[in-house]
Amino acid sequence: MTTPGDHDLHTLAGAYVLDAVTGAERAAFTAHLAECAECRDEIRELREATARLGTSAYLWPRPELRGATMRAAARISQLAPVTADHPVAGQAPAPPAAGPGLTRAARGRALRLAGSSAGLRGRLAVVAAAAVLAGTAGFAAVMHDTMQTLHHSQRQSQLIASVLNAPDAVMRTARVGGGMARVVMSHRERRVVFMASRLPPLPAAERYELWLMGPIGDRPAGMLRTRHGGMAGPAVISGLAAGDMIALTVEPAAGSRQPTSAPLVLIGS
Amino acid sequence: MTDGEHDGPARRRRAEGAAWAAGRPRRLEDLLPAVARGDERAYEAVYDLASGWVLGVARKVVRDPAQAEEVMQEVLLEVWRSASRFDPALGTGTAWIMTLAHRRAIDRVRSERSQASRELRSAAAVIDYDDVAEAVEASLDRERVQRCLMSLTEVQRECVRLAYYGGYTYAEVAELLGVPAGTVKTRMRDGLIRLRDCLGVT
Repeated sequence: MTTPGDHDLHTLAGAYVLDAVTGAERAAFTAHLAECAECRDEIRELREATARLGTSAYLWPRPELRGATMRAAARISQLAPVTADHPVAGQAPAPPAAGPGLTRAARGRALRLAGSSAGLRGRLAVVAAAAVLAGTAGFAAVMHDTMQTLHHSQRQSQLIASVLNAPDAVMRTARVGGGMARVVMSHRERRVVFMASRLPPLPAAERYELWLMGPIGDRPAGMLRTRHGGMAGPAVISGLAAGDMIALTVEPAAGSRQPTSAPLVLIGS
Repeated sequence: MTDGEHDGPARRRRAEGAAWAAGRPRRLEDLLPAVARGDERAYEAVYDLASGWVLGVARKVVRDPAQAEEVMQEVLLEVWRSASRFDPALGTGTAWIMTLAHRRAIDRVRSERSQASRELRSAAAVIDYDDVAEAVEASLDRERVQRCLMSLTEVQRECVRLAYYGGYTYAEVAELLGVPAGTVKTRMRDGLIRLRDCLGVT
């Protein structure tokens, strides 16, 4: 495919708003939007008009769906806000592999972080990947168990399935204290599924928080709720970028915008 | 809320009333930041305002009533999960939710289409506008949108309808209508511009 010029891109505005474009075109147009204020205005207006096509089709949901949705929401953790430096929207799809240099850089930052909070230094455990199981029977079993036992919600399940079924999915496991963290990541889906067991219990004022840490910065990836036995997840993390590592830190219960403690574990691709 | 006791408008007034009664803001732009902070009452108010819109568009696009309900719930849960990502500078709360809803519904039909390797459905099947109308609110808004759609040229209208309600890409629409892809892109854009002007959206 040739790179479309600005004019070609501009005519894509209608198709873009109608979601009538391919993934590659969406990415190209989204990137174009970042540079074109006029286009952003046009998109905003066309989106409002397009939304009316949808809202005018109003249908009454069955009343029982309301309670079911509320109960499901109560079990889903919310995404932390995106900081202005690293907006989630508009990033081009990430290439599949992380360069080793980037990985080292991320580790270096984690070590600096550890050095800067002396009291937590002992907690730091940077763990290299333990296993790559993509495409093996073990992977299929993990996937099956995951799908069977961890139905947070249908949406969650579908996101998990999209990561587990991605052709480039890789699984990593790492020790956290006496427990175990496991991630499945797909750069194609730009998502990570994080699960953990036997996580050390935390005082009431603290909670676990997940992060994406990589060349484009540290981004909060949601608070991690632990259940009985230190079980946590599966949590779906979106916005995975090239060179990202997945980190777990202990934060004040309200969560943090930037990590305030050294990662207990850093898992990279 | 009791089932089936009231007709639609009464139920909606009651839902809206509940949102008011809670002493909460009722505009999505005010509710969504509260949802982002984990405010469950605000989330209930968002549900009451938006679930019918989301179900409506889901039903238009995926057609199957059960699947449309699933899409509606997925979208509302996504609203809960990612309310912190709503940015009022980029548009209204309605547009944000409807964009999530439409994408989700489109993803569903597209994966269904590719899994089944089905032939493209005929254009006639998609633009049949009224077969999900049984429970559609007979609203002024709907009439106005319909009237504005009718003010588009036929090609503009078919391009917009096939893309929005049919879930087709512009290349597929070009195939269905037998016109060049470049023309479809252009008609989608100028059709939406005309729709925007007719609806008075700014």
